[in-house]
Amino acid sequence: MANNSERNPGILLFGAAMLVMTGLLGTVILPYFDETTVTPTETAQLKNYPTDSAEARGRHVYIREGCIWCHTQQVRPVRADSKLGPVSQPGDYYYDAPIIMMTQRTGPDLTWVGSRYSPEWQYAHLINPQKIAGPGSIMPKYDYLSEQDLQDLVAYLMSLKPAPKQSQ
Amino acid sequence: MVMGLLVALKSVNPEFLTFSPFLTEYLTYGRIRPVHTNTALIGWLTSAFFGMLFYGVPALCKTELYSEKLAMFTAVLFTVNYFIGAGSILAGYQTGVEYAELPLIFDVVIVIVVALLFFNLMKTVANRKEKSLYVSLWYWMGSVMFLAIVYIVGNIPAEWIGSGIIQAGYYYFYLHNIIGLWFTVVGVGTIYYLLPKLTHRPIYSHKLSLVGFWFIAAFYSWNGPHHLINGPIPLWLMKAGIIPSILLLIPVWSVLANIVGTMKGVWFKVSQNVPLKFLITGALFYGLSCIQGPFQSLMGPHAVLHFSYWTVGHAHMPLFGGFSLVMFSGIYYVLPRLVYRHIYSDTLMNWHYWLSVLGFLVFGFAMWTAGIIQGFEWMDGKQLGASFLKVMESLHIFLISRAVGGSMMFLGQIIFAWNVYRTVKAGQQIAADDPIIVSR
Repeated sequence: MANNSERNPGILLFGAAMLVMTGLLGTVILPYFDETTVTPTETAQLKNYPTDSAEARGRHVYIREGCIWCHTQQVRPVRADSKLGPVSQPGDYYYDAPIIMMTQRTGPDLTWVGSRYSPEWQYAHLINPQKIAGPGSIMPKYDYLSEQDLQDLVAYLMSLKPAPKQSQ
Repeated sequence: MVMGLLVALKSVNPEFLTFSPFLTEYLTYGRIRPVHTNTALIGWLTSAFFGMLFYGVPALCKTELYSEKLAMFTAVLFTVNYFIGAGSILAGYQTGVEYAELPLIFDVVIVIVVALLFFNLMKTVANRKEKSLYVSLWYWMGSVMFLAIVYIVGNIPAEWIGSGIIQAGYYYFYLHNIIGLWFTVVGVGTIYYLLPKLTHRPIYSHKLSLVGFWFIAAFYSWNGPHHLINGPIPLWLMKAGIIPSILLLIPVWSVLANIVGTMKGVWFKVSQNVPLKFLITGALFYGLSCIQGPFQSLMGPHAVLHFSYWTVGHAHMPLFGGFSLVMFSGIYYVLPRLVYRHIYSDTLMNWHYWLSVLGFLVFGFAMWTAGIIQGFEWMDGKQLGASFLKVMESLHIFLISRAVGGSMMFLGQIIFAWNVYRTVKAGQQIAADDPIIVSR
């Protein structure tokens, strides 16, 4: 039943590691060599926030408070995303660190939310979503944030817009 | 060895899987959520499987663990590290990378622990008295090595990687393979260990189990991109993710076929042996989630189901329905052999089983139904503003069902913890000539 190589843990581990590394190379390393993934778009330039700007600080708040767990930042070329605005391109995310397109859409997609509402609306909505959006909203109130954090967060949300000259 | 498992048991977190959008007055959802996923993945399942390895590897090698002190050290370090790490997420230090939210310093400690554990187990295997490597050892040794690779890839800071969409490649590799190359591999190894022990029958086919091992190693690692189907990645990369996802039907079929083959003629034992009941149900849920997975990875279904509650149901199926049940079975099997006491109460074990399984089914079907409704409502154009909110309101009943299902699962785990505690404290002592001692 068992041949000799089956008794050797070294061969086993080496083989298994090689197979996994092949997958790693194919799906993680190979994309570095695709032009579309490593060329920033104009939208990406808009989101290249200077260090310690209001938008950069706001993005930090956005991650820290976990907005990312309910709001995606990715528009797909499918019917379920048809009203969300221009389709996301690989290069749009060039300067994001970390990338936060995320996986759950418990709340609406926020890829281009900056072109939808005013800063005043955003500010009031963060403090009391049920009052502004409607009593059915299950978004938590962010009234515990400092004034500075709220302002930064609004600045970040308002910066999420497509570049004006984008060809689509 | 004993202490390794006990510390693992202590990490069974009481807040296991119960939060819901309605409980968020206490701690904001956005911070609780990553603590929940990390506690389930790192705090509970990883600790529990480490315990299983510390018991199972020496048992299969018919030798002592290489260094008990080292094992104890890694167990304590791992647990303490995780508790502080989880606290830091609540304090506002999450990294923003799904399943890898722990700040870098804690990741470094985890990698050190995994490396020490790997060293300890490999030394044990090298000193083995039994020359043949049983297939569980294949899976287990492979899994620890995979865990190290996957964990390192997933926790490289974004700044070092470069372009945003390339980061997605790293992070989705991690997100999928912490499940696929760690929990699946260590879990299937555990199934292959427990099944012959609980049924007193040899595994149906040794070759088939090896086929499963090599297919998992070959194809799981390619699965990352299937999380980005229809997304902003090149088409070739989507294909590289979809095709191996479908090929994964092969290893899961090999596991299930092997289980059915082994069980042939002894199915009646499922009704008499609660740990076996846990194990078989766990394997069934593992199988179901691996049929659901390839289906979701097709472009059509993915366009409807991605981003919806469906994913929540799917994510809980292998982790709770599958490998948590396998691990409950493992704990019920191992514990009497460590503390020399029988499990305190079979009735409580049964309650644990039914609450967990029924609770999960309520939870799962609520999420899958809600997800399908969400997906099709979005296709109807209800993607923004007031119409989006209307869809949310209509899903309220499913969120309540989820909370009910989650509460049942939670209650099950409380019973589990109580039963384990009572077993250690007051379980019936096992006599020296009991077959249980001989059969380890």
